[in-house]
Amino acid sequence: MTKIIITIVLLVTSQLFSQGQFEQGMGKAFALWGEGKNTEASAMFERIASAEKENWLPNYYVVLVNTTTAFATKDKEQMNALLSKAQSALDVELNKYPNNAELLVMQAMIHTAWIAFDPMTNGMKLSGKVMEIYAKAEQIEPNNPRVIFSKAEFEMGSAKFFGTDTKPICAQIEKSIELFATFKPQTVFHPNWGLERAQEAAKNCK
Amino acid sequence: MKTIFTFLLFIVAMQSYAQTEISGKITDEKGIAIPGANIYLEGTYDGASSDENGNFKFNTSETGTKILIVSYLSFETFKKQIEVSNFKNQTIKLRESVNTLDAVIVSAGTFEAGDKARVSVLKPLDIVTTAGSAGDIIAALNTLPGTQTVGESGRLFVRGGEADETQTFVDGLRVAQPYGATAQNLPTRGRFSPFLFNGISFSTGGYSAEFGEALSSVLTLNTIDEPTQEQTDISLMTVGLGIGNTQKWNKNSLTFNAAYINLEPYQKLIPQAVDWNKPYQSLSGEMVYRYQFKNGLLKIYGAFDVSQFDINQEDINQPEKVRFDLRNDNFYGNASYKGTFGDNWNLHTGISYGLGVNKIGVNSDQVENDENALHLKMKVGKKITERIKITAGADYFVTDFDEKFTEFQGETFNVGYQNSIAAAFAESDIFFSKKLAMKIGARASQNSLLDEFRISPRASFAYKVSKNGQFSFAYGDFVQTPRADYIKYSDNFQSEKASHYILNFQHNKNGRLFRAEAYYKKYDDLVKFDTEMAQFNSAFSNDGSGFAKGIDIFWRDNKTFKNTDYWVSYSYIDTERNYLNFLNQVTPSFVADHTLSIVTKHWIEDWKSQIGFSYVVNSGRPYNNPNEATFMNGKTKAFQNLSFNWAYLLSQQKILYFSVSNIIGTDNVFGYQYSNSPDMNGQFQRRAIGQPADRFFFVGFFWTISENKKTNQLENL
Repeated sequence: MTKIIITIVLLVTSQLFSQGQFEQGMGKAFALWGEGKNTEASAMFERIASAEKENWLPNYYVVLVNTTTAFATKDKEQMNALLSKAQSALDVELNKYPNNAELLVMQAMIHTAWIAFDPMTNGMKLSGKVMEIYAKAEQIEPNNPRVIFSKAEFEMGSAKFFGTDTKPICAQIEKSIELFATFKPQTVFHPNWGLERAQEAAKNCK
Repeated sequence: MKTIFTFLLFIVAMQSYAQTEISGKITDEKGIAIPGANIYLEGTYDGASSDENGNFKFNTSETGTKILIVSYLSFETFKKQIEVSNFKNQTIKLRESVNTLDAVIVSAGTFEAGDKARVSVLKPLDIVTTAGSAGDIIAALNTLPGTQTVGESGRLFVRGGEADETQTFVDGLRVAQPYGATAQNLPTRGRFSPFLFNGISFSTGGYSAEFGEALSSVLTLNTIDEPTQEQTDISLMTVGLGIGNTQKWNKNSLTFNAAYINLEPYQKLIPQAVDWNKPYQSLSGEMVYRYQFKNGLLKIYGAFDVSQFDINQEDINQPEKVRFDLRNDNFYGNASYKGTFGDNWNLHTGISYGLGVNKIGVNSDQVENDENALHLKMKVGKKITERIKITAGADYFVTDFDEKFTEFQGETFNVGYQNSIAAAFAESDIFFSKKLAMKIGARASQNSLLDEFRISPRASFAYKVSKNGQFSFAYGDFVQTPRADYIKYSDNFQSEKASHYILNFQHNKNGRLFRAEAYYKKYDDLVKFDTEMAQFNSAFSNDGSGFAKGIDIFWRDNKTFKNTDYWVSYSYIDTERNYLNFLNQVTPSFVADHTLSIVTKHWIEDWKSQIGFSYVVNSGRPYNNPNEATFMNGKTKAFQNLSFNWAYLLSQQKILYFSVSNIIGTDNVFGYQYSNSPDMNGQFQRRAIGQPADRFFFVGFFWTISENKKTNQLENL
């Protein structure tokens, strides 16, 4: 009896310990991010990435946190620092998984942030690249709602600028909303954002 | 039983909580606390962020030695092997990263354009959209301070230097014939299409030891590393047509463009001051192939250009016009590889070959010449730390020039030379801090034809005085083989020599850039000869000398006025030289003391148009009037030119473009040609050297078709 208990206790504890660490860490990082503590959240994700070298998710969130923070900042110096941080984390994962559609969406987002940073210099240079990356992502995962939506959102910018018809783009946004409805992330930590933004964008279509 | 169970749990818990505390404080170099830094043990979950006082502490179950990492935005990542059991209350000083936007940059003398430049003066698109540049890289650079507007030449004249004192490089390799062939007093243009390049660095002095054989200036053009998408470009212009295409597959990409230019229809429509027998026409093409290796990039660039024209030019010494016809065949190709290897090493190596063949008829005399120019280069660099980088390399230049002159029904004279120059250079970039940086190096060269060995030191420093302002200072010695025009007659020469001293101040804030540069330049060993023109029996020497000093001011602002970008350049120069067949030291005829240029671009949203104006004005240029006792005592009247352009976006991919140069039709005179002998009244007659036409009109339609069907096809406006 004692033996059994010891074995069980040891097993459970060690199981909990090793398995739980990832979940715990990710959970804590998400909590920090939710509280708006972006620097701490990024730091937490960065630490998890250093321990979980085979898992692309922690670095994915380093990229997402820093890129979204960059979009919100007005300070060019800070923006440059955040985007450089995001890019170096992304490079690590893209090097390992060059055909991961979610990572490709992140690359397109970083480029988009650079375009916003200095449209005169980067607009010409990166717009084509962004479209190319989305095209590649779409080829890999044609039914990934984030790919469809992010691409449509980017196209919307230039369509509005040139006053072209936005109907086909709006149709894509609607399509992405349908895809969001059926999208099942592999785990709770896999990317699962975008529905709200898509619904917001769809409102502007009407 | 229960006790055992509790005890066991306790043991297990003890085990998992048998932890060591790691603590300390994170500060910057000055000891000021850094909050929010990320501190952790590599490969573990154990770590923390520093609090508002820079303090941190966390527990770890790790033991022994581990690597502690501290990372924070805009600072260098700190890594150190630590003893886990023994790391408490330690202060870690982070060093500011020198790879940030606000770090000092060694900038004296150089204008950067393009992607990688942190303070970019011209953007690639500026070249095409600068009014009056007509897509010519050189013409756009001529709106920067330090250059002279020499309207009858079209080349780059930098800080009192002749046009051939500027050396051009594509992907680091020399271009021996950077300009299209032309007749005397007819402006030429650069050979390169601005669409193929995304990095342009134009140095008006004090440049790196990597570059040699240039007394005044270095222009480096880098071809695009990776084209963004597959596309086809079609241009229909009043002066010809062009087509371009880019393909990408796997790790390869290929871009080519071709253009056919014929000025005949245009010149039939708009009368010219030039008497053409056969107007200028040319067929040219460029190609770039790239292959992406895992750790490097191979690029092969090729350009060819076949042009010809036939013209009658006035000559004050001839009763009738002189017929001048020219056919120029030009080829330039290079292959370059750049990549990284080992531990922070990088390699850049390549070869270039240029061939220029001219067949020139002057009345019934014939001149045929060809120049073969080869350049081999290898450069390696290593980042020793974040703050110290060393570069070293070698160059080998071979030039072979032959010329045959056949007099009408007369003799044939052959001249020519062959020269090889072997050079080696080494340089080091050192950041002492985010505020102070230095670049120091030297170049050694051995010239086979002149049989001489030279060492040229180079040094520059930059110091940041405020958040947005910095000073730079540069010094350098530069040597250059005398040009083919002289060296083809004699090898009894030395290299010409120049020394540059440059002090630069730069202030850059929120889309506004101010830059002021003062320089002093000393010329020695310039070529002299004693005849009307350089010829086979001239007595040549290297006894010439001269100086140039001045101030260049540049201001660019794209913030103050909405949708408007403008820049203003002003240059003041005081230069004199005694060279060629000059009687004494004077200001040469290509120099205007004051040059001002203003370039504006304004985007009109409602019209989907960009309109631009360029205005250039400079003071008069000297000329020699033999009717006066003093040499080079004449001054032309001031030069001015107002150009306009209008680009209308039919859609994102279709552009209608219109431009006109010299709208107000100023009758600019660049200089005078005087007769060789006086007339009956003892006066030397003269002829003004002016513009081929008062205005130049240009209409073009540019259409980009990207093959990627699902991409930005925002057609049918």
